Amino acid sequence: MPKPSDLLQGTLDLLILKTIAREPLHGWAIAKRIQALSGDVLSVGQGSLYPALHRLEQQGWLRAEWKDSDLGRPAKVYSLTREGRKQLERELNSWNRLSSAVQLLIATA
Amino acid sequence: MRFSRVILHRLRSLFRRSRENADLQREIELHFEQLVKESIASGMSESEARIVARRQFGPVAKTKEECLDARRLNLIENFVRDVRYALRMIRAKPSFSVPALLSLALGIGANIAIFSVVNAVLIRPLPYPDPEKLVGVFNSATFSGQVVKAWPLSLDMYTAYKENAQGFEEFGVWSAGAAAVTGAGDPEQVATVTMTHGVFRALEVKPYLGRWFSSTDERSGAQKTVILSYKYWQRRFGGDGRVLGRLVLIDFVPHQVIGVMPRSFEFLSLAPDVFLPQTAASGAPGSQDANQSGVARLKSGVSVAQANQDIARVLSIWKSSNRFWRQAAEELRVKPNIHSLKQDVVGDVAAVLKILMGALAIVLLLVCANVANLVQVRAQARRDEFAIRAALGAGWARIARQVMIESLALAALGGAAGLAFAYAVLRLLIIDGPADLPRVGEISIDSTSIFFALSCSFLSGTLFGWIAVLKSGLSSRLQNARGATQNTEQLRAQNALVVAQVALALVLLVAAGLLVRSFIALSAVRPGFTHPEQIQTIRLFIPEAQIREPERVAQMQVEILHDIAAIPSVTGVAFATALPLELEHKNGVPVAAEGKTPVGRIPPNRTIKQISPGLFAALGTRLIAGRDFTWNDPLSQRRVAIVSENMARENWGEPRDALGKRIRRGTDGPWSVIVGVAENVYDDGVDRQPPEVVYFPGVRRGATFAIRSSRAGTESLLQEIAAKIHAVDPSLPLARVRTLSELYMFTIARRSFALVLLGIAATMAVTLSIIGVYGILAYAVAQRRREISIRLAVGAEPRTIKALFLRQGLILMCIGGGIGFVLARVLSPWMASLLFSVRPFDPLTYGISGSVILAAALAASYVPARKAASLNPIEALRAD
Repeated sequence: MPKPSDLLQGTLDLLILKTIAREPLHGWAIAKRIQALSGDVLSVGQGSLYPALHRLEQQGWLRAEWKDSDLGRPAKVYSLTREGRKQLERELNSWNRLSSAVQLLIATA
Repeated sequence: MRFSRVILHRLRSLFRRSRENADLQREIELHFEQLVKESIASGMSESEARIVARRQFGPVAKTKEECLDARRLNLIENFVRDVRYALRMIRAKPSFSVPALLSLALGIGANIAIFSVVNAVLIRPLPYPDPEKLVGVFNSATFSGQVVKAWPLSLDMYTAYKENAQGFEEFGVWSAGAAAVTGAGDPEQVATVTMTHGVFRALEVKPYLGRWFSSTDERSGAQKTVILSYKYWQRRFGGDGRVLGRLVLIDFVPHQVIGVMPRSFEFLSLAPDVFLPQTAASGAPGSQDANQSGVARLKSGVSVAQANQDIARVLSIWKSSNRFWRQAAEELRVKPNIHSLKQDVVGDVAAVLKILMGALAIVLLLVCANVANLVQVRAQARRDEFAIRAALGAGWARIARQVMIESLALAALGGAAGLAFAYAVLRLLIIDGPADLPRVGEISIDSTSIFFALSCSFLSGTLFGWIAVLKSGLSSRLQNARGATQNTEQLRAQNALVVAQVALALVLLVAAGLLVRSFIALSAVRPGFTHPEQIQTIRLFIPEAQIREPERVAQMQVEILHDIAAIPSVTGVAFATALPLELEHKNGVPVAAEGKTPVGRIPPNRTIKQISPGLFAALGTRLIAGRDFTWNDPLSQRRVAIVSENMARENWGEPRDALGKRIRRGTDGPWSVIVGVAENVYDDGVDRQPPEVVYFPGVRRGATFAIRSSRAGTESLLQEIAAKIHAVDPSLPLARVRTLSELYMFTIARRSFALVLLGIAATMAVTLSIIGVYGILAYAVAQRRREISIRLAVGAEPRTIKALFLRQGLILMCIGGGIGFVLARVLSPWMASLLFSVRPFDPLTYGISGSVILAAALAASYVPARKAASLNPIEALRAD
């Protein structure tokens, strides 16, 4: 099994925010969703996912609730706050700038 | 708001720590179970699946820890753990923490105590609404070249100001006095303030019961009224709520109680028992006497300068319309002097308090230097511990935080102990402090003092904590802690601390020394009376309402005098309108000397006293020329007078030449012949120039008796005296029962208060610097054992070794001393107001202070130096 490439520092927040933006999800589903949507290229380790979730919650960008889930047990479901939506906006902008800059560099260098 | 939500969230996390933990556990377990299920679904057995899942998941504990970190929970928990650890370290090492805590408690405590006094007296606003609008209204006047700043107003002036001033919202005048209260209960003398109705209105303090004075209370024919102070109401009437309307006999005249002031009310710096309305109208006899203090509330927007201009205008109109004052006001150069009321209340005590505050700040710095040294020495001893901790994975920031928290915990404990200490000191201060300290009743530890205590603790803790962090070598030398040796940089830092201590201690020593010198100079002054502790004073006032005829009053006074003289152990008795140092009866009356005062000019002011024969003998005042009054003087037609030596010298050169010359009150009184010249009496306090005094025979209704007896101040003597007085008239209250030495102590109270506190500060400073010098040398000896042993082993004389360390101590002391001398020279002019016949640069004081520091430094260096010299090289080297 090929090891998915390490996540670029700082992009994890963006991925989490973007994933939850569509609908509230619990931790397991977030990890699965990221993996699936990236075509199995990106894999988020539990060791970085949960601290990231707690940090984002602490910063007021995520809200967490215990809800019944598709797993058959109550799970901690994360959703975006209004602040979180704004943050996603910011992160997207900066990501776009960064990736286009990298593209440019690769194309011209 | 986002910020508040974050805060809320964090607080919730903190308080629900255990639930958060459980939630986290559940969340992670769920994830783990899913991993297991996934593996089972792909065909593994359950146990296999669990192993795979565990491998996939990675270290659970670390993840959990990181989640908690993300919630900032660990930060707080670490802090709590650090504090707990710090407290344990403080408890475990008493040899370090007891001296550190003790010096912190003393240093911080002394600062809190003095700060509380400064706060109550100087910083806190006066306890009236809008106190910044309140002003004291006085005039300044020039008497024979001397400017009197707070010259009181006359009732005539009051009327003029009241009618014409435009800057005052409310304005009134008052004067303090005393009166006898008789009737039910024992007769007693009470302190009074007689005021116009504008005074309470200006202060804006509503009565607790009843009403303020109004202008109808001031009419001469009206029912006499009185307002009680809360204290007097409680004492005399037991706090009776139906006191309003009752009649009280004040100076044998019934007064109706119309009000009671609230408990918290203070009348400026006085504590009168009762308030009386001013009933003497302007234009009446005596209404030209300048004896009224003014107080006013400025209209909003009016500045003190504008008020002064306004009153200057009123004063010039008034001068031109008043026959008596037209000339006097010109000659005396009378100008309005309106200033903030606080200045009146606080007076010149501000200088004393500022000096003390400065001295105590120096002590606190010394304490910090000492504790920093202790902490530093300890931090070095703990290098091994730090190295092990670093090896186990603690970051240097984590260790530094630990050291800092230890220092702050130490400072906080010291500050708490200091607060308790300050509380005790303040209790003593309020009971035993100088009674003339204004607003003494307001002194307390309030929120400002507590904030000050907290800042003191925090700042000193940060100061020496930072030194400890820097000196523990955390940042650079954690790795090679085993091989750490004394390096020059550390040594220099410690030396600098000791030099600073010596310098500051010298400054305080000089300050205390200057005060001691002032005291010696003061006690060398011959005050114009002898053995004041043997002179019992009692004031009697015989009011007109009781005895109408002045002749009968004089007769009663003489009767009492003879009766008291008959008491065994009484060797002298006499009476006067005012005894020496009785400042409350101070007066100033123009006295002309025949042929000396130019005709048509207002003569210079003199203090006038009316005395009975025998006063000089009873007080121990020497007669320099001529004779004392006799009982026959009033009978003969010749008017006689006695003058003080300085008055005689000023006018006639030699005391002897004054005899037979004539003087008179004012410009048109009858002439009196001088029959005697008395020694100067320091009537305004021994630290002031003795005033020129003129004595006349005969006495008024109020007189203070001076009774010389070896039993002065004893209860038995007082009872005998009271019995004699009450045999003549049982309703006479006895007031001002004290000895002359109490009065004498009172006049130097402020200085002795400052001396005691400065003395304590200086003693603390010298002790701290001795400990400092000793500590650093002892430490240096311990550090250099090896070097000393080798030197001794290769043949160095123990004497040379001893000299080496003594020299080090002396060098430190000399540098510190030099800096201290410079500092003291710069700072000592600040205390000029406290000094008496000593210059701020008194060489003797500087010399003695320097010697004391030198001796202290020698003693402190000798012990470690001897220890170094007596090292046994073989043992010392083997121990390494």
